[in-house]
Amino acid sequence: MDYAIEVQGLKKAFHQNQVINDISFQVKKGEIFGFLGPSGSGKTTTIKILTGELVQKDGYVKVLDVHSQKFSRANFRSRIGILSDNSSLYERLTVYDNLKLFCKLYHAPLEQIDVILHEVDLVDARKKIVSKLSKGMKQRVLLAKALIHQPEIVFLDEPTSALDPGNMAHIHRGLQKLNEAGTTIFLTTHDMEEATLLCDRVAFLNKGELQEMGSPEELRYKYSTHAFHVETFDGKKLIIENEAKNGDKIRDLIVNDRVKSLHTDKPTLGQIFLKVTGKELV
Amino acid sequence: MNTQRISAIFEKDLKDFMKNMMLLMMPIIPIVLAVVYSRLGEGEELPLVVIYIVVGVIFSAVTTSIMMTMMAEENEKKTLRGLMLSPASFLDIIIGKSLVTGLMTLITLVISFSIIGFGPILNIYTIIGLFLLFLFFLFLGIGIGLFSKSIASTSAYMMPVMFLFGFTPMIEFLGLPEGSFGLKLADNFPLMQVMKVSDTGSWLPLGVVTIWVIGAALFTLICFKKTKTDD
Repeated sequence: MDYAIEVQGLKKAFHQNQVINDISFQVKKGEIFGFLGPSGSGKTTTIKILTGELVQKDGYVKVLDVHSQKFSRANFRSRIGILSDNSSLYERLTVYDNLKLFCKLYHAPLEQIDVILHEVDLVDARKKIVSKLSKGMKQRVLLAKALIHQPEIVFLDEPTSALDPGNMAHIHRGLQKLNEAGTTIFLTTHDMEEATLLCDRVAFLNKGELQEMGSPEELRYKYSTHAFHVETFDGKKLIIENEAKNGDKIRDLIVNDRVKSLHTDKPTLGQIFLKVTGKELV
Repeated sequence: MNTQRISAIFEKDLKDFMKNMMLLMMPIIPIVLAVVYSRLGEGEELPLVVIYIVVGVIFSAVTTSIMMTMMAEENEKKTLRGLMLSPASFLDIIIGKSLVTGLMTLITLVISFSIIGFGPILNIYTIIGLFLLFLFFLFLGIGIGLFSKSIASTSAYMMPVMFLFGFTPMIEFLGLPEGSFGLKLADNFPLMQVMKVSDTGSWLPLGVVTIWVIGAALFTLICFKKTKTDD
């Protein structure tokens, strides 16, 4: 199996505080992997380790077949893109000048600036000073900055936090297009709708420990009670267990044309997270 | 080290400098000082002490201050992190910024000396001495800038640098007794040593300044290591 990320027995502590506690996971190449957890669960620390910003002593970490000891090398950095919640831009410079700097740092052709501005729908803002942009537009420039060198893997730490639905949808479309082109995406978020919409697989992180992992569909099936939820035309809401003895009951409802809606129980990722960790995602 | 990355950082910092009023004002201070002192001289050549006060102000208010402020702003706005996570090395970043600081220092030196006269510095010893002083003040700026979390905090660090290393020749006006500890100590400071070079044309003071430069470089290295290990 071709993995973009391999993590085995990763631990990280700051002084006496154990932030990451023996986690292991793999991310396949071309996958959108969601790392979900509440604030302070260790998501950002994990991203910092995977991008070489923090050094770990315990555990084995490999990204794009490069061992963590070599994460500070320029040729590794050229292959990854990062957008974190505290990434920022040079406020006095224009959008174009900001992207030009990173184009040159990554040895990417300058023509790439217009391509990426088109993708994040900011062509008209190329000459604008960054300080004059809205928060949503700045976030799209940051995304453009992270993608300007066409990285093989992108690490996105809460890329849509505090954005309006319009800008959020813009970023989601951009990420889906990017993934279709073969880029692996490692995404941390506490927005369960975003995770359900974008991710091929998700992992739940709580207090530095991985508590569950799988595709949203698998998890929803696993934590489903498999009961049928029936709403009848006379306003009754019934929950019928998925058992052979209840077959006649359901058939009668259908035959007598009483069923307004019928669906199986599938919890949302948020409900599953609550069930697994006993905590809401905030 | 990569020249394309260095030139990218130089270009960005130069553009940013030109749009930053706070940084643009820094070179004005020594130039105004040079104008005031040149008027006091009434056409006569200025005393070496006065010339080196201008030199001290140029290096502290321009070299150290610009470098320190640029680094502190990158820290405060978290843009330094973006650069550090790019393929640019720390050396590429520092050299790019130093070239901007160097260019501004050179322009300020040329303007200031064209006002007070180039005479006292037109010899190889002094030019080497001034270059070593530039490196010393540059390293101080990088080091302090690395541990400054905000631009506001740099002004607190700027004062001791300016008074200790920029205004050292002023100790002569304090009326301290000949051979006192204060005078002896100040005599070994980098600016006083370069003043000695101008006065005597001897190589020895340049050795002392080199030791100061090495000390400042070590200080920068310690500050860099500290910021790298700050989780």
